[in-house]
Amino acid sequence: MKKFIAFALSAVAAVSMLSGCGSSQGTASKTADSSKAAAGSAASSSAEPTSADSTSADSSKSGGTLKFYNWGEYVGENVISDFEKQYGVKVISEYFDSNEMMYTKLQAGDTYDVVVPSDYMIERLIKENMLQKLDKSKIPNLSSLYDGVKNLAFDPDNTYSVPYLWGSVGIVYNKNKVDKADIENEGFAVLKNTKYKGRIYMYDSERDSFMVALKNLGYSANTENDAEIQKAYEWLQEVNNTMDPVYVTDEVIDNMANGMKDIAVVYSGDAAYILSQNKDMDYYCPKEGTNIWCDSMVIPKNAENPQLATEFINYVLSYPVSYDNSETVGYASPNAEVLNAMTASDGDYANNAAYLPRSGYAKDEVFTDNEVLRQKLSELWIKVKAGK
Amino acid sequence: MRKIRLYPKIHMLIIMAFFYIPIIYTIVFSFNSSKSLTHWGGFSLKWYEKMLASSDMMSALWTTISIAVLATIVSTAVGTITAIGLSKAKPALKIYVEKSNDLPIMNPDIVTAIGLLMFFSAIGVKKGYFTMLLAHIMFCIPYVMLSVGPKLRSLDPNLADAALDLGATPWQALTKVIIPQLTPGIVSGALIAFTMSFDDFIISYFVTGNGVNNISILVYTMSKRINPSINALSTIIMLVITIVLVLVNIIPLLKKKEIKQ
Amino acid sequence: MKQFRSMAYPYIVWISIMIVAPMLLIMMYAFTGKGNSVATFKFTFDNFLRFFSDAIFLDVLKRSLLIALVTTVICLIIGYPTAYFIAHSDGRKRIMLILLVTIPTWINMLVRTYAWMGILQDDGIVNTVLDVIGIKNVVLLHTSFAVILGMVYNFIPFMILQIYTSLSKMDKSLIEAANDLGADNFQTFTRVIFPLSLPGVISGITLVFLPAVSSFFIPKLLGGGQYVLIGNVIENEFLTSGDWNFGSAISLIMTIIIMISMYITKKIDSGAKTEGGDEK
Repeated sequence: MKKFIAFALSAVAAVSMLSGCGSSQGTASKTADSSKAAAGSAASSSAEPTSADSTSADSSKSGGTLKFYNWGEYVGENVISDFEKQYGVKVISEYFDSNEMMYTKLQAGDTYDVVVPSDYMIERLIKENMLQKLDKSKIPNLSSLYDGVKNLAFDPDNTYSVPYLWGSVGIVYNKNKVDKADIENEGFAVLKNTKYKGRIYMYDSERDSFMVALKNLGYSANTENDAEIQKAYEWLQEVNNTMDPVYVTDEVIDNMANGMKDIAVVYSGDAAYILSQNKDMDYYCPKEGTNIWCDSMVIPKNAENPQLATEFINYVLSYPVSYDNSETVGYASPNAEVLNAMTASDGDYANNAAYLPRSGYAKDEVFTDNEVLRQKLSELWIKVKAGK
Repeated sequence: MRKIRLYPKIHMLIIMAFFYIPIIYTIVFSFNSSKSLTHWGGFSLKWYEKMLASSDMMSALWTTISIAVLATIVSTAVGTITAIGLSKAKPALKIYVEKSNDLPIMNPDIVTAIGLLMFFSAIGVKKGYFTMLLAHIMFCIPYVMLSVGPKLRSLDPNLADAALDLGATPWQALTKVIIPQLTPGIVSGALIAFTMSFDDFIISYFVTGNGVNNISILVYTMSKRINPSINALSTIIMLVITIVLVLVNIIPLLKKKEIKQ
Repeated sequence: MKQFRSMAYPYIVWISIMIVAPMLLIMMYAFTGKGNSVATFKFTFDNFLRFFSDAIFLDVLKRSLLIALVTTVICLIIGYPTAYFIAHSDGRKRIMLILLVTIPTWINMLVRTYAWMGILQDDGIVNTVLDVIGIKNVVLLHTSFAVILGMVYNFIPFMILQIYTSLSKMDKSLIEAANDLGADNFQTFTRVIFPLSLPGVISGITLVFLPAVSSFFIPKLLGGGQYVLIGNVIENEFLTSGDWNFGSAISLIMTIIIMISMYITKKIDSGAKTEGGDEK
């Protein structure tokens, strides 16, 4: 008994010493620069800001706190710490890994200042009156938005949201093992091509998988038509029964980078990473159209510090910060100049087929929030996965 | 006869190998310069740098350990005392407690998590470190009681009575007779409680707030690309545990030598 | 000894607040329709009907129970001898062994499961070694084998600890008495040692079977997203579909099934006690 207590206490002592030396860097102290620089030097270096930028370095709310609720590993290396230094505030970050998880917490009344949901979830939050309108006069950087992310159906005038990162959904395939003609001719149906049995990854997400099926069948990804949804369900069942697929989420990134399988349904940003790591891989958006998605920053109605939240949003949209985000995470930035820089011949993503999503293609769709569809999909989805 | 003696050793060796292969794997790959978990890219300490620089990870580490230790201490004490008290209680109460205790063990974590989420929201408690601690205590106590229970049942009832007859106070009977006999159960209960708290993710996720994260939450939400910094973290934990273990075992030996001299 | 009775009272208040109350909320969801609000309380069995009327869900339930059972049996078969050997080691070694068995559990379960993913992957260590021997391309990950392996790995320390607790401080005089009366090792084990350790075995089974049935991470990571067990269904209903009512109902169904099986197991325990495993 005594041994156990001694053991426990010494373990706590040892670890608290360790965490003590680390955590002092997290607070809004300006002295932590040197160690941060050493650790972060291998990572992104911020590009030069252009003159069209405005990142206000002084704030009327010095010393406040910002609660930031974001996807895991979805922010640039220095974004948070730079914001804390520039504005003299503290940022508390919490993470989620699915929109629904985030929604559950928001519904339960948890307060956050800035949240980064996906398009359809933003639509739902707007409908349920859970967001507050943005003060666009305080977000001058809106002018640097890329055309492809303007006027998106879920919030066309940026009344409630400002794009954070965006992309498309497509097929990553191994150029050496997969016939390019198959990909181009069959589009998403290549996932049903038994030539590639046992060598495909499907994405473990109900909306994305149903989108693949619906688009390939020629229907809208936002359909409410029972018959169409049923056909899509059968499409997916066929994949299950004949192709031996593996349903994954983020594991797909490393797995495809290592060439574990030959075909996968992947988000464009993840595909960009895969392509940069594995020269055998290529990315393709099918002719039948695909999903264009956008994660945007919003301010919940019960935010405690909406002013600081607005400043944060403007800050994120600025050139150096958006560059940092895009470079670290690998997804497309909403800032037009960053996109230009990335895809320029000396940019990080020059010649990367996956980085910049196609825009203006009529058959591509953004997800809408659709109660009927949501219910039907949720009923069918678990059966898709389990019914093998 | 030799053969029979050898078997236990072989058995234990294989078991230990089984237990520690993933651990060693984790440690080795925490030094991997690439992010992969299967391909070795060369030796590198960069994940350790990143880990130490990440205030998120450091504070999560602190949260995880402090809550685990506190929850273990409280739940072990409360669980043991309650188990003893319960053994003398009326059958109806016993059944109520036993069935209720089964619930957190039986239910999938998500159910317990949502139940607590709704409950805390309903009574308007602000979520954070304290609610996480309460939740951990809540689900740890049943494990302690489950561990102490069997030992309690095989206890000789006459011993405690004998102690009382011989003039001991109830408190003395409790601490000097009953509890020592229960020690293996108490210790294993404490160990299990610590593990359950240390590993918990979903319940912690939904009852926390205010930026308080524990290691499991970080690991789960950061799994976008398997982040080897987490392996670095685990390696450090292993290191600390090993050092403490060594110390705990060596110090008594050193003391013995002192006494001899 | 009756004065000890009152020690239990504070806890009874605690669980009524922290365990029973949230559970009642869940039950309320199970018996109501969609709408996530207290106001629309309309008692219904729809959620339960939905579960039982679909063969897929029943399949998932069967598979979950089967996997949990297999895991428990394996844990028992491997765990009992381990606990036995530990209990029969001398003092210092014993403590070391117990700690060695427990320490892997202090490394986060997710991290350990990811390690197994790396080990079992098609280009992982096991396959590399097998390749050298000449057995090519064995698919280990995303199979029932991987899931059971992961579960056994995760839960066996609990089984070992529980059985060890029962075996340690076992009255040696009983064993000596049995030997004196002419019993050989086998008989001593089956008639004396094993029955006395039964409480530990039962709680070990509890600590493995229950979490194994409702397990969700291990099937998801080691079995792949398409490997669906009942824990995954419930998680899906709560988090992805947002159908708390259905999720609560499934959870209640599972709870009842488990309670029934625990009841049966306890009956076996008390049956064994009255038969011949009487302590004194």
